[in-house]
Amino acid sequence: MQQTVPAQAQPLLRVENLQTHLYLRRGVLKAVDGVSLAVGTGETLGLVGESGCGKTMTCLSILRLLPKQSGRIVEGQVWLDGIDLTRLPEQEMARQWRGRRVAMVTQDPMTSLNPVFTVGDQVGAPLRAHGLASGARGVRDAAVKVLRHVRIPSAETRLDDYPHQFSGGMRQRVVSAMALACQPRLLILDEPTSNLDVTIQVQMIELFRELQNDSGLGIILITHDLGVAAAICHRVAVMYAGRIVEVGDVRTIYRRAAHPYTRALLDSIPHLGVRRERLASIGGQPPSLIDPPSGCRFAPRCAHRTAQCEREYPPEIQLAPHHTVACWHPLHEQA
Amino acid sequence: MLVELRNLRKHFTLGGGLSFRRGTVFAVDGVSFGIAAGETFALVGESGCGKTTIAKMVLMLERPSSGAVHFGGIDLQAMSGAETRSYRRQVQAVFQDPFASLNPRLRVKTIIAEPILTQERVERAVLRRRIEELLDIVGLPAGAADLFPHEFSGGQRQRIAIARALAPNPRFIVLDEPISALDVSIRAQILNLLADIQQRFGLTYLVIAHDLALVEHFSDRVGVMYLGNLVESGPTAEVFAQPRHPYTQALLASVLRPDPDHRPRVDAIRGEIASAMSPPSGCKFHPRCPHALEHCAVEAPAWRDLGGGCAAACHLLETSHAQSA
Repeated sequence: MQQTVPAQAQPLLRVENLQTHLYLRRGVLKAVDGVSLAVGTGETLGLVGESGCGKTMTCLSILRLLPKQSGRIVEGQVWLDGIDLTRLPEQEMARQWRGRRVAMVTQDPMTSLNPVFTVGDQVGAPLRAHGLASGARGVRDAAVKVLRHVRIPSAETRLDDYPHQFSGGMRQRVVSAMALACQPRLLILDEPTSNLDVTIQVQMIELFRELQNDSGLGIILITHDLGVAAAICHRVAVMYAGRIVEVGDVRTIYRRAAHPYTRALLDSIPHLGVRRERLASIGGQPPSLIDPPSGCRFAPRCAHRTAQCEREYPPEIQLAPHHTVACWHPLHEQA
Repeated sequence: MLVELRNLRKHFTLGGGLSFRRGTVFAVDGVSFGIAAGETFALVGESGCGKTTIAKMVLMLERPSSGAVHFGGIDLQAMSGAETRSYRRQVQAVFQDPFASLNPRLRVKTIIAEPILTQERVERAVLRRRIEELLDIVGLPAGAADLFPHEFSGGQRQRIAIARALAPNPRFIVLDEPISALDVSIRAQILNLLADIQQRFGLTYLVIAHDLALVEHFSDRVGVMYLGNLVESGPTAEVFAQPRHPYTQALLASVLRPDPDHRPRVDAIRGEIASAMSPPSGCKFHPRCPHALEHCAVEAPAWRDLGGGCAAACHLLETSHAQSA
């Protein structure tokens, strides 16, 4: 069943035309509607967008962790290390891939740890499950090593503590340790800092950057916080209503955004040190993904829309070697 | 000053029964500041610094352990029954999470009518007109009155919460993280709305927030809190342009900015906030302070007026202030 990517410069992860549907009572929700992206070794790709735009569903599709009853990948491939994960039997996915070569850190460190097991048990669990350590002694030693790796002070003694004995920042480190335990090639971070204080946010960002430098880890960072994305990402993909509307390297996106949505997002947040009387707000709300508009999905809220935008979904335009945008009227042409 | 906090303290006693943790949490440990009519005062600080406890005491949801909150010159604790009722009308709140702050079983019109009906008897037609007027102020159609909260998005729900806060014609609104639960593209709409109604009705705001860029944009004056104490306060523009307290400096240095060429300083601050149950001796910030002196661990620094409306509590300012003077 295993297929290999045709010989060419190979990124670590390549997602092609991914479409994930959620079958709900209200109808079929097209959560991910044709997403293609790539992440290289040692690279961080930011997946930026509002809640409900499909960024988390994209990543759950990569891991094949969609809700069993309602969620299904209806089209597209997910190539990791030359293997299409969408075609693997579930057993192989669970034993050799999920948690082993691709791992995820979920949003809330409070709920992703089990309160009745010690931190050592929980960090040791993936090591044991994937057969990377065995025996009480062996697992314990390996867990200490992992906790040290994420810079938890006095790891040997903290191993026997329970999650509630850790502070928010330390808990996030423990969750990261669990994800990193099996030395995955790709790490997915879902809003890793959104519940943390600013001073702790910086420390976490620094930790992820160091870990990446040490091991060549590929990272997908899901966030709605443009400050966090700017601090850690090499490239940024902006998602809106189930599709990627713009991708580029981080400087291009922040300095020369071509999609009106990207530009509007950047303009709508207050910037430290820049005082403005009013924030430029985006009117309206994102469309329903059960029955999305046929044209550009941002058109109803876009200041630059034309009749064409409302009729037809725009093609992807390559503006520069690493900068593509899906828009009929990218902002550069006008400038 | 419309609102004035005088050496306000709130201590919670933990323990008793089977609790493993006993002791006293010094949530708010002697905080004083005033808010002038028509201004926006922001309280910032890390979680656990006591900013929400202050908001609760201002809203009369908690009693201070000592010290007092004055509104229009009257101590809240000493108010008569009629004065308390009048205070409750004049002070309203908008909370962080509009999914939790609106009763899911009530129609929007009932939610908005509630604070009006607790104060006065109103004829049905008058009430309906008032509700539609309030919905119009916050940018919702009149038809919204007959719907339930679940039929609205997060941003619209926050508008409903704002309409409810405006209903009894308040003078003062406490905004506890008013936009942090909302989507990025919606936040600006709500912030602009809050600014508009402040101008239109001459409202005074107390904002609790952790987003420093928001605070800089939205507030006139700011107070920075650390472990139950105010460490610095002053006009927002001055404090952000020239932070004097090492904690304020560290907070500002660690903000992640939407600018790929900005590198936040990792070394600006060490470790994490200490427990409010056993706060460090002397200056509570000294274990994390990059400039701590021996003296800082011994004696708590005094609150020092730095001129221009700015004030801070730090031993370093005694020396540097003397030098610059």
